[in-house]
Amino acid sequence: SLVIRGEKDERAVLCSKDKTYDMKIADTSNMLLFIPGCKTPEQLNADQASCDIIHSQIAGFSNNYWELRRCRPKLKKLRKLLMEDPYEGPDCQKDPTLTFSKYTTEDLLSLIQASEEEILHQLQVINACKIEGHWRILEFDYEMKLLNHVIQLIDSESWSLSKVPLCTCLEELGSLEPREMIEHILLSYGRRFIDDAGEIYFEMHEDKICRAIAQMLLQNAVKFNLSEFQEVWQQSVPEGMTARLDQLKGLALVDKTSRPETIFLLKVEDLPEDNQERFNSLFSIREKWTEVDITPYIQDLCAEKQTVGALLTKYARSSMQNGVKVYNSRRPIS
Amino acid sequence: EAASLARSGGAGGLAEWVLVELQGEVEPRQSSGLAGSLLGDLHYTREGVPVLIVGHHILYGKVVQLEKPFAVLVKKGAGEPDPTGPRTHYTVTALIKTKLLFKTRPKPIITNVPKKV
Repeated sequence: SLVIRGEKDERAVLCSKDKTYDMKIADTSNMLLFIPGCKTPEQLNADQASCDIIHSQIAGFSNNYWELRRCRPKLKKLRKLLMEDPYEGPDCQKDPTLTFSKYTTEDLLSLIQASEEEILHQLQVINACKIEGHWRILEFDYEMKLLNHVIQLIDSESWSLSKVPLCTCLEELGSLEPREMIEHILLSYGRRFIDDAGEIYFEMHEDKICRAIAQMLLQNAVKFNLSEFQEVWQQSVPEGMTARLDQLKGLALVDKTSRPETIFLLKVEDLPEDNQERFNSLFSIREKWTEVDITPYIQDLCAEKQTVGALLTKYARSSMQNGVKVYNSRRPIS
Repeated sequence: EAASLARSGGAGGLAEWVLVELQGEVEPRQSSGLAGSLLGDLHYTREGVPVLIVGHHILYGKVVQLEKPFAVLVKKGAGEPDPTGPRTHYTVTALIKTKLLFKTRPKPIITNVPKKV
């Protein structure tokens, strides 16, 4: 079956198990009559009985109908809800008398305008986990604390980054953090597999780990000297991993026009979800963008079969600057 | 807030209805309203062209297979709120895949005026 979802202040969407559709009312100046049992010429030809008069009733009429158009699931709200009360670990000092909103899967299904599969997939993407039946996002510092435990252990045990044993991690770190959290951080930053002996291991994800460490460094200041940042960043990532700027797509932006070059945090998930608002926001941060720079910040806006190029044609104006094609806003940005 | 749609119960597939699309509006002859009144007579020519006679007008139309079929929804149970599930329920009662489109100007039927040869 299908579900229509939306709060009073939202536009209705219709969801199947794995897809989301915008709902719109379409008006027509014509009158639409619907007739149950009305036969088409083919059906009458097939039925060679004599031509009696068939009395049919018009069940009703209308001059509008609902139209569906496949759309992107509206998932920004999901992160917003879970950020109301991020999980800070079992030792956190939060006042237990303060009630925070906590969300089960059922809660999310009735609040988020997306299909169940799209919601569950997004929960995985944002590294959410279920704690006592409620979906929680980890507070960033706590997430980094957990990751750090694992990285230190990998280092002290001299394990290969592509074969980290779950069992030993739980044994060694179980006294420091809840076992579910240790397993969760391994799942968030690694790929789980089972070896021939049936033991569970994790292949650590270089890009995800380097990216998280970059975020940790960048969130402490408005911007950084690019070369200084790259040096500190490489020193901070686990031995054997290479920190590369392309790992930071949609997370940070390099300003090549400043002397020296700088880098600052810009997270795509902090930007508006609506297409026009997203472009307005991007153009107010920077007047002119190259396609390479802007792509990570508009990729998620692409509808089914829509390209970044099509989006740029629609929402931006292009020009040449120093032999390079750049995009700016179609209208003045205040 | 959520409302759910489900196929109506019962054996066999969904009923298939037909849409008749008319330009303009249909008005009742008397002030009694449309319900229960006769709209007109629908015929098909041997070539399968639908012909609608409404009052003393005749309309010629065509059979169109809908590119996007319609589902007819009937709203049910906006009554008791059910905290465990969607509150409002729509049942898919029928599908419409075909329409009879009448968009030519209705011609009044006066007398049979022979055409000039």
